[in-house]
Amino acid sequence: MNESTLFLITFAVYFIAAFFYFVFLFSKKESAAKTGLSVVTVGFFVHTLALIWRTIESGHAPFTNMYESLSFLAWSGALAYIIIEYKYNIRKAGPYLMLIIIGIMALASSPLMPDEAAPLMPALQSYWLWLHVSVTLLGEAFFAVAFVTSIMYLVADSREKKGVAKEGAITAEKLDSISYRCVAVGFPLFTLGGLVFGMVWAYKAWGSYWSWDPKETWSLITWFVFALYLHTRIVMGWKGRRSALIAIIGFLAALFTYFGVNYLLAGLHSYA
Amino acid sequence: MKSLIRFLSSVKLAIFLIIIITAASMIGTFIPQLRSAEEYGALYGQLSELLIRLEITDLYHSWWFIALLFLFSLNIVICTLTRLAAKFRRAFKPNLEFENQTLLAAKIQDRFSRKGNLEKSEGELKKGLRSAHYKIKETRKEAEVHLLARKKILGIFGSDIVHLGLLVILIGGIISGFSGFRTNINISEGEIVPVLGADFKLQLDKFETEYHPNGSVKDWKSTLTVMEDDNPRLTKTIEVNHPLTYKGYVFYQSSYGWDWQNPTLEIWAIKTSDPSSQKNAFVRLGEKVIWDEENLEFKALQFLPDFIIDGNQPRTRSLNPNNPAVFIEVYRGEDKISSGWIFAKFPDFSQMHSEEEADYKFEFKDIQTSQYSGIQMAKDPGVNYIWVGCTLLMIGLFLAFYWPPRDIRLILMEKEGKTEIISAGRSAKSKLALESEFKRIMVSFRRSQ
Repeated sequence: MNESTLFLITFAVYFIAAFFYFVFLFSKKESAAKTGLSVVTVGFFVHTLALIWRTIESGHAPFTNMYESLSFLAWSGALAYIIIEYKYNIRKAGPYLMLIIIGIMALASSPLMPDEAAPLMPALQSYWLWLHVSVTLLGEAFFAVAFVTSIMYLVADSREKKGVAKEGAITAEKLDSISYRCVAVGFPLFTLGGLVFGMVWAYKAWGSYWSWDPKETWSLITWFVFALYLHTRIVMGWKGRRSALIAIIGFLAALFTYFGVNYLLAGLHSYA
Repeated sequence: MKSLIRFLSSVKLAIFLIIIITAASMIGTFIPQLRSAEEYGALYGQLSELLIRLEITDLYHSWWFIALLFLFSLNIVICTLTRLAAKFRRAFKPNLEFENQTLLAAKIQDRFSRKGNLEKSEGELKKGLRSAHYKIKETRKEAEVHLLARKKILGIFGSDIVHLGLLVILIGGIISGFSGFRTNINISEGEIVPVLGADFKLQLDKFETEYHPNGSVKDWKSTLTVMEDDNPRLTKTIEVNHPLTYKGYVFYQSSYGWDWQNPTLEIWAIKTSDPSSQKNAFVRLGEKVIWDEENLEFKALQFLPDFIIDGNQPRTRSLNPNNPAVFIEVYRGEDKISSGWIFAKFPDFSQMHSEEEADYKFEFKDIQTSQYSGIQMAKDPGVNYIWVGCTLLMIGLFLAFYWPPRDIRLILMEKEGKTEIISAGRSAKSKLALESEFKRIMVSFRRSQ
């Protein structure tokens, strides 16, 4: 038994959960979705164990390279989904979110991702690593849920307009409000973790709270997109399609901040 | 003037500016910043001149980007101020003049009669509302009592506090940009350096590098002493992530390196036909070593830490000791009989040119030199504004998202010994929660009669 075994078990459990969700999607049997949720919850606990294991084994926070941070992002995504599902009953989002989570897990386990628990370079040896990365990724996980519900909104909305919405299907209006709630949770978390904690740590480690480093700039861009979402919605009363599109763009910007900047643009944030 | 204010206070302008600033920020991440004109020429050809002229090559400090940020700040200020007066009125001088019809038309409303006079009902109702943490304002006229029960009123100022926080951050950024400075110094053990613009000096007492078991660097530590008028004031060991702060100056551990100006070189001269005859010398550059037994003298003239041949000329590729090499000359009496480069990592690969048949060889064994510590000195008077701004930002976000104001308006009328009560709940951000709370309060109130 070691961390990678636990990781594989988690991966398998998420697969089983996705399977149940897809059974639910095609058979419309509520019981399948319920089983799916319990399986995800089990997977989440195994995943938590895997992360704790990794932390003890390496002696540092479980997100210092791409493998670790992807695994942590999948964990945050599962957590965000479990919270939202228990609170708002959005089972229909389950299959799609499980696909995203499995995709992230697959990416994490791909041989391209450096996964050896290397000792930490000096700049990363700080408790700000915990605060900055975990809160940011948690915020992004909620953006991911908003992304999925926004896409579902677009589908549900066009079906309702065409009059081909299925009986008992989750309404577009509800999806719209769930997206908003996810952004309302994700935005403060992202602001705190990504921008505020990021600035504090940058000041402590590099001596400058803001350097227009590409990763900093892209998290500001992500923040601006969601600020736009909130202003158009709250002040100008935008809802539905346009809001959904902004939320989708916002999550894509967050993804670019996370991956694109590392692989396409060089900067201070060269570790992960 | 009025139309200017209307223009500056519009949300549409804010949205336009957010989009433009976002787009500009993106461009700045794709076009490399602050490179030389030659590099831009190579990358963008004809376009490069335009990019430089438009300051896209230093976009975030260009006049137009700063102008955009300034306009954005102005927009935030005016947007916030124009909405603030109405919000203050709503919070501190709320309107208690409401009609039965308005309340009955609300989504969350209730109407019923209960036994008992108005005074008794009012007392119980207030008790119920207060136990649900509502604060109550009231007004009476004739046989009617109007109550306004509210909670989490501060929530309406959430967005304003966010905006204030952003402004404070922008102001801090301006102060940092204009009066902050940052500079890197290299300082060797024992050295004392002046601090730019300050009345104190800095001394490096000790510098050490810690390694992980696998050989990678774990940490760099510099023990620094602040000297004022030659008196030590404060000593602290700094490491990455743990700087020293003194009188508004902050000293960071940023890099390290070796002082190659004056290394001590360990050179062995060995007789080829009889390796037991050796001369092991520790020398500095230019020092002459005498090897009596062989009647030879030699000296080291030049040292390169990372030797490379570049166009027939030896030079150093970096300041790291990747391929240390030393140039030595060998004399017999007044005659130079041999010279050339010897390498610490390649003892068999010497490049000595001899005038005579040589029965000796030289080996470059080791180098000893002090490491210097790279320290970043910074003074940033804007940074405190940033932390205040961030705190306001987070308080504002919390209030805006998790402190949703609610109110319940009530009209109580006495009719034939009974009290008639009309009530309505209002909340922009937490309708569902208010609805269930409203029901709970009203139901328990009805039961209590």
